[in-house]
Amino acid sequence: MRCIIAAAPIAAVLLSLPAAAQQAGNPAAMAPGTAQTSPGTPAPHEMNQQDRLFIELATAGGLAEVDFGTLVGKKAGSNAVKGFAARMVEDHAKANQKLEALAKAGQVPQPKDLDAEHKDLRGQLDKASGADFERLYILGQIRDHQKTAQLLEWEIGSGQDPALKDFAMETLPTVLDHLRAAQGIASQLTGQASLATAAPVSGAATPKP
Amino acid sequence: MSGFLKRLPMAAGVAMLFSVGATADPLPPDATYRPLPTLPFSTVKAADEAQKAQVLQRQQTLLTERYDTADHPIPNVMMSGGRKPVQAGVRVKLPAGVTWDSLAALSPDQIRERDLLPAGFMPLPHVKQPTGGQVFPNQQIEQMRTLESRNLQRFDVDFDLQDRFTPEFPPPIFLTTHPELGDVSRGQVLSIRNFYETMNGIITPVQMEGLRLLLTPFPQEEFNQTEDRKSAEPSMGVACLDCHANFHTNAAFHLTPDVRPQSARFRLDTTSLRGLFNQQIHGSKRSLRSVEDFTEFEQRTAYFNGDHVSATRKGVNLPDRPNQVAMMAQMQNIIDFPPAPKLDPMGRLDPSKATEQELAGERVFMGKGRCAECHTPQTAFMDNNMHDLKLERFYKIGKTVNDLVMLPDGPIKTFTLRGIKDSPPYLHDGRLMTLADTVEFFNLVLGVKLTQEEKDALVAYMLTL
Ligand code: HEC
Ligand code: HEC
Repeated sequence: MRCIIAAAPIAAVLLSLPAAAQQAGNPAAMAPGTAQTSPGTPAPHEMNQQDRLFIELATAGGLAEVDFGTLVGKKAGSNAVKGFAARMVEDHAKANQKLEALAKAGQVPQPKDLDAEHKDLRGQLDKASGADFERLYILGQIRDHQKTAQLLEWEIGSGQDPALKDFAMETLPTVLDHLRAAQGIASQLTGQASLATAAPVSGAATPKP
Repeated sequence: MSGFLKRLPMAAGVAMLFSVGATADPLPPDATYRPLPTLPFSTVKAADEAQKAQVLQRQQTLLTERYDTADHPIPNVMMSGGRKPVQAGVRVKLPAGVTWDSLAALSPDQIRERDLLPAGFMPLPHVKQPTGGQVFPNQQIEQMRTLESRNLQRFDVDFDLQDRFTPEFPPPIFLTTHPELGDVSRGQVLSIRNFYETMNGIITPVQMEGLRLLLTPFPQEEFNQTEDRKSAEPSMGVACLDCHANFHTNAAFHLTPDVRPQSARFRLDTTSLRGLFNQQIHGSKRSLRSVEDFTEFEQRTAYFNGDHVSATRKGVNLPDRPNQVAMMAQMQNIIDFPPAPKLDPMGRLDPSKATEQELAGERVFMGKGRCAECHTPQTAFMDNNMHDLKLERFYKIGKTVNDLVMLPDGPIKTFTLRGIKDSPPYLHDGRLMTLADTVEFFNLVLGVKLTQEEKDALVAYMLTL
């Protein structure tokens, strides 16, 4: 078994999370050789395949959010898009920090750069300007937040490490809020009817439909 | 192809985005298809058994936080078989500092922002959401153990609701073909051992064969012979009427097999098969269009939590459509609602038989309460439609409760209200325990601001249906 000694600052971040997910999911999906505190309860920071993949994909998504958001701060014209992007930088930077602590605790390496998909989009964003730029960014945001919501739900159901699952649970409402905010802005930009669900968005960046 | 697209000049940014989308990385490989077990059966069983008490405790904590589970029967009101009392009163607990009236006076936005929606109105989690699957109530388990030596017990979870909030067991059986006989169940639960002698002379050869098939166990996700199961011994499987006991329901529940992938599936309370002959759409969200379709798909995919790939390795039964499925359907189609002596042929109360309060309830139902706009009396209190009640107007979505993510339900089929006192718990996931709960629920959802007197009358009315 990997021996894990959590460094003090990491422990502090982890303690601030809600302890909602003490129970493992279906033990049939546990990795062979998982250290357990009692049968079926994995030792802290014992991660399964899903946890590890989650860290990788969520890190890639989080990096892109901050990277694109910062770019928007420099390039966008409208306040709605700028406000949204600022919120993305702030919220995702916070989440990225928490995720980093968890990845360290589980000794899972994190990607350092944008993945191919987001590099591609970044290239397009660099070249675009004006209304094209804003649309490209916002439609990309809708898709990314849809995928992230799916990813978080998947981790909540299939993950193993309680701290990581708690992170996913804590992050999901915010991501859904971001999604609805992006949908609201998209309908503003495109002049279309709202794409969002009945539940309105909370937070300052909410555009008035 | 993608290389070619990437080299195109950035003329139409939006179109480019979608072209990239088509080549983008998908989500994790097991986001849609179920992963196979990674550990041997004995290890999984030991782990599940060790955790079981804790799993059940967590669910009980949730239930007592949400509901008043005390025994308060309505005096002199029994379910149709005359053996089980109907529970009284609103059981969903209110958040501190509000009453039902003060809550109903708030707008959905206010309720959401102040986090005041009673937790009992929210989706009800399965005992163990990540594993999910079928869970049978103890009475059914005991009966099948006695009658068929078949074990429906799981080693990872047990049934979670109190007996007083489940239907009468065994439920009476009423046939459209024999109104004169009344309940033909003889007070027993139909099983492969007793169905022939019980129904001999009452149903046709085709119906009899359909009934036999509906009582024959077939492999299921948690009850089969592979290591991917949750029954201690390799299992003979599950029969249709293990959940639809006597063609009604015993409140066995499941995670909705095939409307969302695993991580976002929701609990489903078994629906009654009474009055199926009149229904145009089947399933809360699936909207299958015939009893035959639903029958075929139950064993094909629903039994396997919606994954036909997983089904194949466990020995799925694929009933033959023109023969077996048709016969199973013909049997299901003769199951009637319990008699409602106070209703006239159009589904309206007969004033000479109903009480003042029941008649007042009908007026609320048809008028201020707006219930009849969906539960149309003339069509067995349904409209053969699905409606989005938009409950998410009242709460912030995305919160996780016992591993279930609170997501909008979307459109759900209007259930019939005929014989409704016989089928607690209510709504598609069984989140409401009493009819009084459903009145408070719809009072809020529809914003109709009923008075206490009107609410009581509505409950009295629904007891007559
Ligand atoms: C886990 C217990 C369970 C078993 C076993 C089961 N069902 Fe069901 N059945 C349900 C649930 C739960 C629903 C409600 C589905 C929904 O709302 O989407 C349902 C719905 C139905 C419906 C549609 C009712 C309607 O009009 O909405 C039919 C028909 C049906 N089942 C037939 C069968 C047949 C035939 C079998 C055997 C092949 C079977 N069921 C086995 C639980 C079960
Ligand atoms: C917009 C259409 C609509 C209206 C109006 C409506 N209902 Fe319903 N009713 C539904 C739907 C849809 C469901 C199923 C919801 C679910 O399961 O999530 C349902 C379910 C129910 C159930 C539970 C049925 C079961 O088998 O679990 C009861 C009881 C009920 N309604 C009573 C009422 C009453 C009383 C009113 C009026 C105050 C009312 N409904 C108004 C659509 C409606």
